[in-house]
Amino acid sequence: MADIIATNETILVVGGGISGMTAALEAAECGKQVILIEKGPSVGGRVSQLYKYFPKLCHPTCGQEINQRRIKANKNVRLLTMTEVAEVSGEAGNYSVTLKTAPRYVTENCTACGDCGEAVEAEFDSEHNYGLGKRKGAYLPHQMAYPQRYVLDPSIIGTPDATKAKEACKYDAIDLDMQEETTSITVGAIIWATGWRPYDANKIQPYGYDRFANVITSVEFERLMDPHGPTGGKLLRPSDGKEAKDIAFIQCAGSRDRNYLKHCSRICCMASLKQTTYVREKYADDGKATIYYIDIRAIDRIDDFYQNVKADENVSFIKSKVAKIEEDKASGNPVLHGVNTEGYERYANPHDLVVLAVGMEPSVASEDFPIKVTVNDNGFIEQDEANGAIFAAGCASDALDVNRAVQSATASALRAIQVVNKVAGMEG
Amino acid sequence: MAEDIKIGAYICQGCGIGERVDTAQLAQVAQRDAKANIVKEHPFLCNAEGVKMIQDDIDNEGVNRVAICACSRRAKTDAFSFDNVAITRANLREGVIWIRPDTDEARETTQEMAEDYVRMAVTETKYMSLPTGDEETKYTPNLLVVGGGVSGMTAAIEAAKAGYSVAIIEKTGALGGAAANSWKRIPQRGPYADPEDTGVDALISEIEANDKITVHLNSTITKTSGAPGRFSVDITTESGSTVTENFGAIVQASGYKEYDASQLPEFGYGKSANVVTQAELDAMAKEANGAPLKTKDGKDVTSVAFIQCVGQRSDKEGHLPYCSGHCCSTSIKQAMYFKDANPDIDTNVIYTDLRTPGAGGEDFYRSGQRKGITFTKGEVSEVVESGGSLEVKFRDLILAEDTSEKVDLVVLATGQVANAGVNIEEVDQDEPGQFTVNVDSILNMDYRQGKDLPQLKYGFSDSHFICFPYETRRTGIYATGPVRRPMDMQQAIEDATGAAMKAIQAIENAAKGRAAHPRSGDLSFPHFRREGCTQCKRCTVECPFGAIDEDEQRFPVFNEERCRRCGTCMGACPVRVISFENYSVDSVGQQLKIVDIPDEFDEKPRILALACENDAYPALDMAAMNKVEYSAFVRVIPVRCLGSVNLIWITDALNSGYDGVVLMGCQKGENYQCHFVKGSEIAHIRMSKVDDTLQSLSLEPERVSVHEVAITDIERAPGIINEMAETIEKIGMSPFKF
Amino acid sequence: MSNMNQAMVEKYRNDFLKEVKANVEEGDWVQMCMQCGVCSGSCPFGPYWDHPPQELFMMIRAGKREEVLSSNSMWMCTSCYNCIARCPRELPITHIMHGLAHYADRLGLAPKEQPTRKFANRFWDNLVKKGRVNELKLGVSLYFMNGFIEGIKTAMAAAPLGMGMMKAKRLSPMEYFGGHGVKDSKGLDAILKKARQIEDEKIAKYNS
Repeated sequence: MADIIATNETILVVGGGISGMTAALEAAECGKQVILIEKGPSVGGRVSQLYKYFPKLCHPTCGQEINQRRIKANKNVRLLTMTEVAEVSGEAGNYSVTLKTAPRYVTENCTACGDCGEAVEAEFDSEHNYGLGKRKGAYLPHQMAYPQRYVLDPSIIGTPDATKAKEACKYDAIDLDMQEETTSITVGAIIWATGWRPYDANKIQPYGYDRFANVITSVEFERLMDPHGPTGGKLLRPSDGKEAKDIAFIQCAGSRDRNYLKHCSRICCMASLKQTTYVREKYADDGKATIYYIDIRAIDRIDDFYQNVKADENVSFIKSKVAKIEEDKASGNPVLHGVNTEGYERYANPHDLVVLAVGMEPSVASEDFPIKVTVNDNGFIEQDEANGAIFAAGCASDALDVNRAVQSATASALRAIQVVNKVAGMEG
Repeated sequence: MAEDIKIGAYICQGCGIGERVDTAQLAQVAQRDAKANIVKEHPFLCNAEGVKMIQDDIDNEGVNRVAICACSRRAKTDAFSFDNVAITRANLREGVIWIRPDTDEARETTQEMAEDYVRMAVTETKYMSLPTGDEETKYTPNLLVVGGGVSGMTAAIEAAKAGYSVAIIEKTGALGGAAANSWKRIPQRGPYADPEDTGVDALISEIEANDKITVHLNSTITKTSGAPGRFSVDITTESGSTVTENFGAIVQASGYKEYDASQLPEFGYGKSANVVTQAELDAMAKEANGAPLKTKDGKDVTSVAFIQCVGQRSDKEGHLPYCSGHCCSTSIKQAMYFKDANPDIDTNVIYTDLRTPGAGGEDFYRSGQRKGITFTKGEVSEVVESGGSLEVKFRDLILAEDTSEKVDLVVLATGQVANAGVNIEEVDQDEPGQFTVNVDSILNMDYRQGKDLPQLKYGFSDSHFICFPYETRRTGIYATGPVRRPMDMQQAIEDATGAAMKAIQAIENAAKGRAAHPRSGDLSFPHFRREGCTQCKRCTVECPFGAIDEDEQRFPVFNEERCRRCGTCMGACPVRVISFENYSVDSVGQQLKIVDIPDEFDEKPRILALACENDAYPALDMAAMNKVEYSAFVRVIPVRCLGSVNLIWITDALNSGYDGVVLMGCQKGENYQCHFVKGSEIAHIRMSKVDDTLQSLSLEPERVSVHEVAITDIERAPGIINEMAETIEKIGMSPFKF
Repeated sequence: MSNMNQAMVEKYRNDFLKEVKANVEEGDWVQMCMQCGVCSGSCPFGPYWDHPPQELFMMIRAGKREEVLSSNSMWMCTSCYNCIARCPRELPITHIMHGLAHYADRLGLAPKEQPTRKFANRFWDNLVKKGRVNELKLGVSLYFMNGFIEGIKTAMAAAPLGMGMMKAKRLSPMEYFGGHGVKDSKGLDAILKKARQIEDEKIAKYNS
């Protein structure tokens, strides 16, 4: 990694999700030098785990393809995967950053032919599928993965599987002696695009995510729809593989709640509305969806999407925070208990499957940042002069949908450019 | 092109290609049939040694066209990136061996497939050259911001901070826009508890102190012409004097108007002076500046009802079908004006869905409740004057009863209507949910396709792309703030910063002759052979980005800096006088012609598939990764956009004996996914006319099919090809073999 | 107190909400409810409530004073604290319910025959006499709460239990005669008097 050239006119972007990619590319396409680092083995972040976007119901892969092509074509962006920031010191226009790169055990020689994956026996829960399926110990993170290069799970190193992988590779692309590398660079500005993680549904005890197979999260539900996903794109429920035709969506699962996340995660209402269309896509008139909500937050121009879903007579809305879920042992159906607050009606509604619209929390806890940054009560980075030339992009700054995250990332690119242009003495 | 063409064809044997096909035979084909000058095989072309071999030929042998016959053009891009040469890729891995069974029976057709792709790649290099870029580019680090509200001022300040000079044009006599009439704003920082200063004065002083920013007050734009890097704008003052200035890019922050509440007689607006809109309430508060607000008849206000979603989120005629996003928080802010001054004043917010998203929103909602603002989920039917006060009649949705409340003042949340200028597409006014704001043009562009930015929906000049919110159909002109999408001030500030980013990027790109999104960095641009042009105007009409104007003789005038390089003009041109250096009627046409067409009785049909390079082509690649098989009779050519497909390719294919043609583009229509907006749609329209061609050749209409394919259609895309193969089996081979 | 009993409340004006905030234990919190209904759904006695907590809060905001204070509902609360644990807005719902019940009782608006109320009043009367609950007297008074014959029946049914408790020295029949109390009963009286005075002043102040 000795060939990384970075100066205090370079912008470091931390996180290779859509916000980080956007921030990096917008700056690079403006002629700036950018180092984009990603903790995982490929770029794309959470967006690559979605089936469709609201409100257009288009596929995130499509924009991914464009962004990947932009990266491939742009020599101003240097992408480092499996890399994290270990240390940061300095000030606006002059930061010293130490990067740590975990061993991938696969070199640039890899052609993604897949022979190592076939040779290796060990299987692990697939991160890409939120643990709903398995992946091999030598794997391509997903179909669209960029870099299109395999990675070895560190836990197979030293096992016979590692040797099998190495022997299977015809291109001498596997290097089992690869070590963690530390690189020190100087940059002028840093963009944190560290994104979000789904709130841990196990903490919402009354919903029994940990106890009932047929209670899943909204992010997992996206994986069921993916043709490469654990069910091959079929809407089948986990307990018995039965077709999930009657699906309940529980809003604010972990959001707007002082027991969990205090803030509103913004995306969940639209995500559930979108997911009702999946049920209809798969099961046509047999598909039924019920949304349990406090307020439907289909903000701004895209409220028409909500109006359309509301007009669908197979989709019903119940204003209620579901009190608890029980399981009907005989059918395996989760039964939802609560009160419809519009007119006070108690319900005990069985459904085939329950989807918890889990909230968004910042991926990096405020105390884990390698340099002090100002965060608000909810853990999101605030715009603050005290942050120097460290700017947040996307969901590191607030609970945002993709559109707004990209908007935020574009803004952060300009803020970073302002700093490096100043360094370059361009500013008047 | 004058330079000598020297083609190097490099055939990889790795990833199983060597085992599955006879690469020596491929090499022979490259040399003999396609006339490559240098042909080399390599066991592992993408490794350092293979790459060096190619680089050596470029450096020492003068190779200036490189045909990489290996994996997909989407793979191994880092390895196969050579400067100053034109590169093509024959997709032998994803396009051939991964989609064909490894059986003895399949071997022959697999080999034929590979051979054709080698022929095609080598041929393509012959008809393309390295784009040299536009030579008449201009660097104009000067930004025009239209509108002096918060969005416009923010864009100006942020661009100036990056070193660019900015001119702001403001129609009124002062900066500040809608926010200047507000007393306070929704908080933008933790703890999100209280309304805060609007920040407008601070922005104005920052602008006044910044010598990079000039302000034209009382001014409008009377003409915008040119293109990114060389916009020429006439700025006319109220008094009629005009100056012309040059700009590199434009940010349009023309803001919004509040929805006209007088269209809502049921809410008592206009009938009672004490029914006001949110904007009016803020103006009252600003005037009072902390003193207790009075009713219009001078009495102390003891109670206020805030009615949300007034004329919004409604499918009634003339209402706004959308949510304006800010009004819930704005009502909370305004209720706080009362509560903070006197907690005894009753403030009730009547809403159907309270929308205070994000980290700050929910805190602000709670803060409002803590201050004693009450919230009622209800639907208001009517506001009437009754005994000196106002009676708000509504249905309480929680208590499920029709009821009413008497208050001194009613505030209506009426929502934002974009100030987007002329709706150039003249949306049908009668169509429900569609409406236009009949106002003067904002930009007065002299573009062939209209005076203002195209509007996406409900009058907003927004991008249609989730991943690319700043995508614009007029290159170098970016809409921001509530003209783009309904939004609050905090979001407008973020949005304006992003728009400023895109604008300075457009300036930089224009200076280097580089394309903007989605083919960012592309240096090719359309070349036009004037002698052959019949002035049919198809290109000027169909260009999705309004890049082509017309001169007095109705010849097209290409504005390279506006062009996105999609090739829709090339596809449109009936006389084929438009081409790019590296993408032309020939670069594709000659490929399809060099494909070996077996004799009719060989029972080996040939199918031409033209696939959108962004969606359909990657879908086929991913199908290959999953080892989804498809017909060995297809020859796939990626195209920049289905809009670039010229009918001649179809005619040529059918004339040369292809048995079927499949076109795969992106979704069209309302939720279009075509990255060039209209390309796919236009292609569908054009192809609907292909029947005439088929008829004149006495061919069955089934031989040509057009499809909308998504990048995730990994089963479906191969399926479409296989279907065509089956169709041909049914209707028989084309008689045009020779 | 009489004028408060007849207070006219305008709908959706905050008069009653303000009254609740001023006079009901933890009444300040009523305004924080966002009508999610998780309290109502989590209550094990849920089906027995005419108006579950979240609805009561809305009724308070709507100014339904009479309906709320004369309601049976808040008397249903058994202090299991499920609602408090679940409330996303941190409302101390259990306390508010007791506060409402107590306030309604003080105003004399609580339903006269409400069993929880009757029990609570007996409990209280029993307790304040000596500063300790006299279980025997409390038990007997409860047996006969609904009439003499009912009392005898209940007593007969419970007789084996009582005998057992006596054998195990958990119950002394002598307690029926006087019974023991706290050491400083005068002090207790003073405390209770003071508490009552504070509450009266609070209501009077609100009322003035």
